[in-house]
Amino acid sequence: MTPDLLHARAVTRRHFFQTSGLGFGALALNSLMADDLKRPMIPARAKRVIYLHMAGSPSQLEMFDYKPELQKLHLKDAPASFLEGKRFAFIKGVPKVLAAQFKFAQQGQSGQWMSELMPQLAKVIDKISVIRTVHTDQFNHAPAQLFVHTGSPRLGSPSIGSWATYGLGSTNEDLPGFVVLLSGGKTPDAGKSLWGSGFLPSVYQGVQCRTTGDPVLYLSDPKGMDRVMRRRMLDAVAKMNEAEHARSGDAETLTRIAQYELAYRMQTSVPDVMDISKEPEHVLKLYGAKPGYVSPAETSTDDVRVLYKGDDPTFANNCLLARRLIENGVRFVQLYDWGWDHHGSSPGESIDETLPIKCQQIDRAISGLILDLEQRGLLDDTLIVWGGEFGRTPMMQNNVRSDLKKGFVGRDHHPYAYTMWMAGGGIKGGVALGQTDEFGYYPVENPVGIRDLQATILHQLGLDPYRFHFSYQGLDNRLIGPTNEGKVLKALLA
Amino acid sequence: MSRALVLLLAVSARAEPVDFSRDVLPILSANCFACHGPDEKERKAKLRLDVEGDAKRARDGETPVLAGKPEQSSVFTRLVTKDEDELMPPPESHKTLKSAQIELVRRWIAEGAKWGRHWSFEPVTRPQGTIDSLVKEKLTEKKLTLRPPASSATLARRLSLDLTGLPPTDSSDKDYEALVDSLLASKAFGEHWARLWLDLARYADTKGYEKDLGRTMWPWRDWVVDGLNADMPLDQFTLEQLAGDLLPNPTEQQLIATAFHRNTMSNDEGGTDNEEFRVAAVKDRVDTTIQVWMGLTMGCAKCHSHKYDPISNEDYYRLYSILNQTQDADLPDDSPKLSKPTPEQTKAVESATKKLNELREQLAKASGKDLKDKDLEREDPTTDKPEIAKLKAEVKSARNALKAANEEIVAIPIFRELPTAKQRVTKIHNRGNFLDQTAPVTPAVLPAFGKLPEGAPLNRIGLAKWLVNRDNPLTPRVWANRVWARLFGIGLVETEEDFGALGTPPSNPKLLDLLAAEYRDGGWSLKKLLKFIVMSDTYRQASETTPALREADPRNALASRGARYRLSAEVVRDQALAVSGLLSRKMGGPPVMPPQPAGLWRSTYSGKTWIDAEGEDRHRRGLYTYLKRTTPYPSFITFDGGSGEVCQIRRIRTNTPLQALVTLNDPVYLEAAAALAAKMIASGSEPAAAGLRIALCRPAKPDEAKPLITLFADAKADFAKHPQQATDLIATTRSKLPQGIAAPDFAAWIVTANAILNLDEFLTRN
Repeated sequence: MTPDLLHARAVTRRHFFQTSGLGFGALALNSLMADDLKRPMIPARAKRVIYLHMAGSPSQLEMFDYKPELQKLHLKDAPASFLEGKRFAFIKGVPKVLAAQFKFAQQGQSGQWMSELMPQLAKVIDKISVIRTVHTDQFNHAPAQLFVHTGSPRLGSPSIGSWATYGLGSTNEDLPGFVVLLSGGKTPDAGKSLWGSGFLPSVYQGVQCRTTGDPVLYLSDPKGMDRVMRRRMLDAVAKMNEAEHARSGDAETLTRIAQYELAYRMQTSVPDVMDISKEPEHVLKLYGAKPGYVSPAETSTDDVRVLYKGDDPTFANNCLLARRLIENGVRFVQLYDWGWDHHGSSPGESIDETLPIKCQQIDRAISGLILDLEQRGLLDDTLIVWGGEFGRTPMMQNNVRSDLKKGFVGRDHHPYAYTMWMAGGGIKGGVALGQTDEFGYYPVENPVGIRDLQATILHQLGLDPYRFHFSYQGLDNRLIGPTNEGKVLKALLA
Repeated sequence: MSRALVLLLAVSARAEPVDFSRDVLPILSANCFACHGPDEKERKAKLRLDVEGDAKRARDGETPVLAGKPEQSSVFTRLVTKDEDELMPPPESHKTLKSAQIELVRRWIAEGAKWGRHWSFEPVTRPQGTIDSLVKEKLTEKKLTLRPPASSATLARRLSLDLTGLPPTDSSDKDYEALVDSLLASKAFGEHWARLWLDLARYADTKGYEKDLGRTMWPWRDWVVDGLNADMPLDQFTLEQLAGDLLPNPTEQQLIATAFHRNTMSNDEGGTDNEEFRVAAVKDRVDTTIQVWMGLTMGCAKCHSHKYDPISNEDYYRLYSILNQTQDADLPDDSPKLSKPTPEQTKAVESATKKLNELREQLAKASGKDLKDKDLEREDPTTDKPEIAKLKAEVKSARNALKAANEEIVAIPIFRELPTAKQRVTKIHNRGNFLDQTAPVTPAVLPAFGKLPEGAPLNRIGLAKWLVNRDNPLTPRVWANRVWARLFGIGLVETEEDFGALGTPPSNPKLLDLLAAEYRDGGWSLKKLLKFIVMSDTYRQASETTPALREADPRNALASRGARYRLSAEVVRDQALAVSGLLSRKMGGPPVMPPQPAGLWRSTYSGKTWIDAEGEDRHRRGLYTYLKRTTPYPSFITFDGGSGEVCQIRRIRTNTPLQALVTLNDPVYLEAAAALAAKMIASGSEPAAAGLRIALCRPAKPDEAKPLITLFADAKADFAKHPQQATDLIATTRSKLPQGIAAPDFAAWIVTANAILNLDEFLTRN
């Protein structure tokens, strides 16, 4: 899409401007609105996305990828095939193999293997397609997170949520099209770049909505100014701006008048949608949500991971918020939950102590989200994506230790195979795609690249991953990158 | 032949001859070159159409381009054939040509298929005419003329905002040229135009990626400000930034200049491969250099030859090898650095070192062995004798004191070349992968754009000289266009970042070349170029527009009227502070932290916190605001400012409700509103009209202030009813009640001033 076409869209976007008979306006938030022009390119199966990213990367070997063979090698030297020609983030020399630290069992009609860490999710596993063979080419957090979310391991490319809102717009005039919610007490490693708009216009950047303080920055009027006063003030501004428009004839001024009105409405609509206390008790219970809860992990300046508690409802609150946001027309809701980097170098980042706590925080919340969406008839056209930026090694991290000590069990970064899953939005349930080798090291069947995942998400949204692009710096930039290696995962499509 | 085509031919018969580089090359570039262009790996049927000889040579029974005979030229016949196997571009490419484009190709061949180069690769020659005559030439084609000049108050504000980023302070009736000269001579000039360089240089106060720790880059920022104020010519600016360290006996300032390319990010995340991120930084430097000076995208040539522009995969790594010889290596300490200790700091480090050494000796004596740093960590109160434990603790604290003393010293990352014996061998990275290196290459500049100037060495000095060499067709055009775009809101080449085959063609090619020649031949003086432009009638036009103007020149690309656009992120804020009288004019030094909402900095590992500045540092120019790459200052990001992650050529302006929330509610704008309210009250005239005059830098029109006066009266009545609200609002703005004014009155004037600071005219450059 060319900047010209963007301009044309901004102009034709709203009746307001069509009838004003005026020239071109700059890009406005309302250029994201009213779906009349932003039709999908191909038939869409999903209208919206909730993306749940576990920043730090959970261990697939403790959650979804059942590898009993590891038991035989447990605490023995890793075979040479694990190590030859490999680069690791921290492992040096020959590490010890580590067996799964939790029990596995088959779940649901589909009989998928899952560990005991996610008992609630196990109950809805037949609604989910698990992909066991995701691989990436990045093994450091920030570049790997950027690769998953922007298609490039370096900074400066738009995030998938920006692409989606650029392609499809938002369906609510009073809310941003792309909203980001954080939990775990820290911003994900790559920071706000993960929801930046890159080379797309900045209207498409994700808006971080916060659960403490102003939900959107600068949303509240200053103390002492009530709504009546604000209304009066904006009326005076609008009156003078109309006079300025009559003088200058610049359509930008009309856009600005409209944006101030939208800002005024957002001051009510955003706190309203962010207020989960309006939800009935049974819904709160379904997610394990607690309105108004402020986790000590969100405010402490120390290592927040030692403050994690299994019943901390922050992530659950965000899942419930995600449902409220998409229900109100937000196109893309991105959750980041930090604290999944379990190297074993301290109890706060260990597989034996912290992973179960993190799983407990998300287990009921995610299964509740799936059930709630289903009950409301929203699961069919809402795509849920879950995963980290890479997986974890079948070996312990030997620069930390080579024996099992409570609170110090961990694994290094593993880019070659890990698990992600998708549900809803035209994705089949009960599928397990891909097979890793007996140690969970490499894919042996159906390897799935990051670009395949991105192609699939765009495809479900009705955006042809190969044609959907933005021209910038002489290139037709695409989420899936310059080559056509990314393929839509047909096996998952319902 | 269809009726439509007959009609088209009839119409086109009257048109001027087809121009290859203007009309045909863009069509071929966009539709053919991906498979039949410079990239040898992707080339299909061994056919390339970007080279005249190849395109006109008969092969396999067909000739792609047979001059004068379109019906026998496969480049044309394959566009119109009904045979799906023959049709070009192939259907799976999803590319289709419009019938008018096909007709252009046909006519070009029929008219003799004259070849040429892409317009921006042709040499710059100064055309006849002036800015005004060349603009008028284009306007006449659209039956338009130049608009009358804007009022002197509007022009004074326009000039002041454009040249210094601040509203006018000088109310004296200087004539226009004197005003231009005084603004160009003001210190604020360098502060404003430095922002452009900072965007290009991906300047930030942190290192980026996961840890995103702080680093000292601000001396380079100050070097840019000083250089611009001294009107350092672009060629020298270029040489010092790219190669200051290689100059004979470089001065401290010349070394600081090389920090330009040390603004690349470095990754301190645990477990990263330093070489991987060093390579990423060097590639960033290659891409940024060619972007900033030549407006071309190099990125794709990392993996394969450029599909549209004449830059091969090998060309990329030959240029890369020139920049691949610096010492920096993504190390946590960002070395090499230039230290700038004050005499006191030098003394402090010396005495801290001395103290540490003494304590270490004592400890060695007491314990009978030379303890290493890690031994100090293994403090064991059960086995250590009390005096040893005490000494260990003292050594540790002395060590920390030395570290702290060293950290006080300003040290900026700079370029240093590796000694010849240690220089790296550069090889082509297969598909851009640094772990898969293939053939070694020798250093060279891009061969399609002229040779290294006579006698220039094949290193960064040579690279810099080649970029600003007279023969380089791109550098003067790219820079002239960039400067024009800052003044007119849109470039003559709208895609400022792409002067290659896929960029937009210039809206006024002769004007662009006039400016380019003026800049280059005028000694690369930015101030001269700016004066050349702002003295034109074109620049001075009024910005009011009419339906006819908008119809003929919807985006003002032809400069058919004065430019009108929303001010940039920093200027929006600086202006509010300036008109309210709060702006600090302190220049330079470490970045500052004006208030931002609490809790924004929750980076993964960086312990640094944002502490809202008190006093003068709350109200410095936006240029000095601390920029953390992963969490940029929120109000600047909302107004399209960058995060300093990659080279930002232009900021695409947006107009959003989040911007309204910033200027309505960000504490800095509330503090400015209160200060403005106090000025309005103290003005001695009707306060609302005075507010308009102060903020908009023009007298208020009769009755113009009426909505504000009504607002004030209503607000005052409300505050009188709810005095606590008045007190609260005044407290929020951290202001003091002016003498003799009741709280409800003052609060109501704050609301009124808040309105003025949100007027469209205030946020806009007119």
